[in-house]
Amino acid sequence: MSADYAHLCSSILEQCFGKVVQSVADCLFSATTRTLSQIVSSTNFSRKEVVLAVAVLIKFRLVNFEPSKNNPFLAEYSLRREDVICLLRYSRYIHLVQTKYGNVGASIAEELLNAGSETATGLLLKCLSDGENKAESAETYRDTFIKMISDHYIIKIPELMPGDEQDEAVPKFQKNECGFFVPPNIDLQLLAQIQKGEATLSKALDGAIVWSLNYDRFHQEFRDDIMKLAIERKLGENAAECFSFILNLIYNTTDPWQRKASNLVTFVEIKQAIERKSNNMELIKYLDQYICLIMDDSLGFLRKVGDMGGGQYLVDMEKTFESLAFACVEAVITERFGSKAARIFRVIRVKKFIEQEDLQKEAMIPAKEAKSLAYNLFQEQFIHVKVIKKPGGGGSGPAKAFYLFQIKDKDTVRMLLDNCFKSLYNTIRRSNYEKNEHKGLIEKSQRLDSIVEAMKERGESDEYIAEIVETFTPPECEILNKVKNRIKTLSKAEMTLDDTIFLLQMYQHHCTTLPTGIQKFK
Amino acid sequence: MAGRGRGGKTGSLTAEQMQALGCMGKDMPQVQTAPPPTFPALLNKPICLETTTAQNYQLLWKEDFLNRMRDSPYYIVSASQEKQKTSVKDWREKALERLKNKAQPEFNYKAMPRELNSNYRKRKADPRPKVLAKKTNIEDRLKQLEQKELKNGGENENDEVKRESDSEHDDEPEDPEAALDDEMDEENDYANDYFDNGEAYNEEDDNMDDGPVY
Repeated sequence: MSADYAHLCSSILEQCFGKVVQSVADCLFSATTRTLSQIVSSTNFSRKEVVLAVAVLIKFRLVNFEPSKNNPFLAEYSLRREDVICLLRYSRYIHLVQTKYGNVGASIAEELLNAGSETATGLLLKCLSDGENKAESAETYRDTFIKMISDHYIIKIPELMPGDEQDEAVPKFQKNECGFFVPPNIDLQLLAQIQKGEATLSKALDGAIVWSLNYDRFHQEFRDDIMKLAIERKLGENAAECFSFILNLIYNTTDPWQRKASNLVTFVEIKQAIERKSNNMELIKYLDQYICLIMDDSLGFLRKVGDMGGGQYLVDMEKTFESLAFACVEAVITERFGSKAARIFRVIRVKKFIEQEDLQKEAMIPAKEAKSLAYNLFQEQFIHVKVIKKPGGGGSGPAKAFYLFQIKDKDTVRMLLDNCFKSLYNTIRRSNYEKNEHKGLIEKSQRLDSIVEAMKERGESDEYIAEIVETFTPPECEILNKVKNRIKTLSKAEMTLDDTIFLLQMYQHHCTTLPTGIQKFK
Repeated sequence: MAGRGRGGKTGSLTAEQMQALGCMGKDMPQVQTAPPPTFPALLNKPICLETTTAQNYQLLWKEDFLNRMRDSPYYIVSASQEKQKTSVKDWREKALERLKNKAQPEFNYKAMPRELNSNYRKRKADPRPKVLAKKTNIEDRLKQLEQKELKNGGENENDEVKRESDSEHDDEPEDPEAALDDEMDEENDYANDYFDNGEAYNEEDDNMDDGPVY
């Protein structure tokens, strides 16, 4: 975890939970684990505030705790660093749920995100009391909720060890992987009674079972979308549909977060699945050719490993994300240094090691320009220099040495990832600055909007409303529009940066052995 | 010859080495002696981002979410920040604040360490059950003793009762957690209660001024 990531986490938490939580998280970020007293002493806030901040972080599943090894009655807290950035992806999660399950699903996910974690009955009550979807019945909400659990978008938080509920200073949880997606028993009658005020929430049978969004299931969907979109852009819609069927088949036998490559799938299995589920006649007719097309493509998504069952295939995650991540790196170089620099980068990547003179010949770029571009790339750490010293010599002069340009894949990606973290942090800071700088103006416009809305509801005359609207002067209006546009551009930049970060993180997961914190059950 | 040795790294590249890297004469990059500027000029103007409907939806939702979080009870404002704010608040803001304050954070304290639960009170040991337990023990014991008395003719009764009661007292299980709580309890902390202002210093010496005792 880099310092840039630490800054980013800090600013994200400040945006969502305020300064106290930010300070507590900063303290936890800098250490593996800390006790409550250690957190209190290293932050400038009162014990009560720190306790509240830690409880909020636990509720939003950003902090883990476990009993200390020396004293089992003392809890040690640790920050789930890799999950903090998920706070920025909440809007993407909601959009995905909305496209899959409609407004009801989006409402459930929204309430879960607002509360961090919640019991099923409590969650449905909140959704039902929400004004937006009052027309929907409790049954629809329950069915959608259960469907989301069975699709693994919602996960059960580990339950307390039986018998320990009352006595433990640090509660212990039972981790049963089979039980994470077992749907709860929701009593609709009780739900109706609670709504009418005839019963209380404490009577619900599922009071001890808490649910939360399963971020990694969303990430799996985003990852698959990246691959499908890449194939769609390069080979067309039919090839993308074919690949989506292959992915679905693979998940029957493979852990979705297996690092290097998937398990095998045969041609016959793919054909049967497509014939059963697809109406695309063209795809069914030319299936073998589409598979060959994906397999022969330079992206290397699919690899043939045997001839059994009409041909055995696997999805090569390592090659896939190497291709995609370096396409992204090349795009960054093109935008920053121009297409000639990108060509130099590609030549070095193909040749693996190359001398300066050979580089300018291979890239077909004038010597001076090639030197300047290579130097820029070297300075920004996109390329590296390997020194090979000739053995022997031993005289007073410098030893004969060869200086070869090379690309260290993992270092380049890590550097770019850190740059993205830094840019994202800067973007958030700038956005906050703009909001603070024009706080008065923004609040005034919001107040005016609410007044006008209330007047319209009351049925006031248009002239009178126009008079009120005119209190917001044209110069103020102009400034406000400019600020809003600036903030919107910054928010868009945040989202685009997060897309790049996600792609590079996928590269780190599938192409390296670094701990990424991504797994099926968390 | 002594100073030459086999040499280590010189710190900078020689002309020959620079030539091998392709840098000679005017091509030599300038030596950087100051940190780069905070806002360097852009070489290329960045391209404008296109906004799709999906992105628009996400942008609006995100803005809404951040506003909701700011008004939620999970957005913690420290006491010092609160003080700064209250000094410049008008009556409308105060009324809004009061409305906001109605929402209380909901935590499942059962699934959190006990130290985070501010409402948790240390359970004081209830004396009654213990007394009852002792009573029943005594009654049982008395019965046993009566039987013994009948058998042995009542020799050394008192001694045995004493020994028994002593052993019972010793066997009483001690709650390790309670002991720890007592230890951590601020009220029992000697260091907090004890304060020596130094007035009692040399007090003993004064008392001894009365004269030696022979």
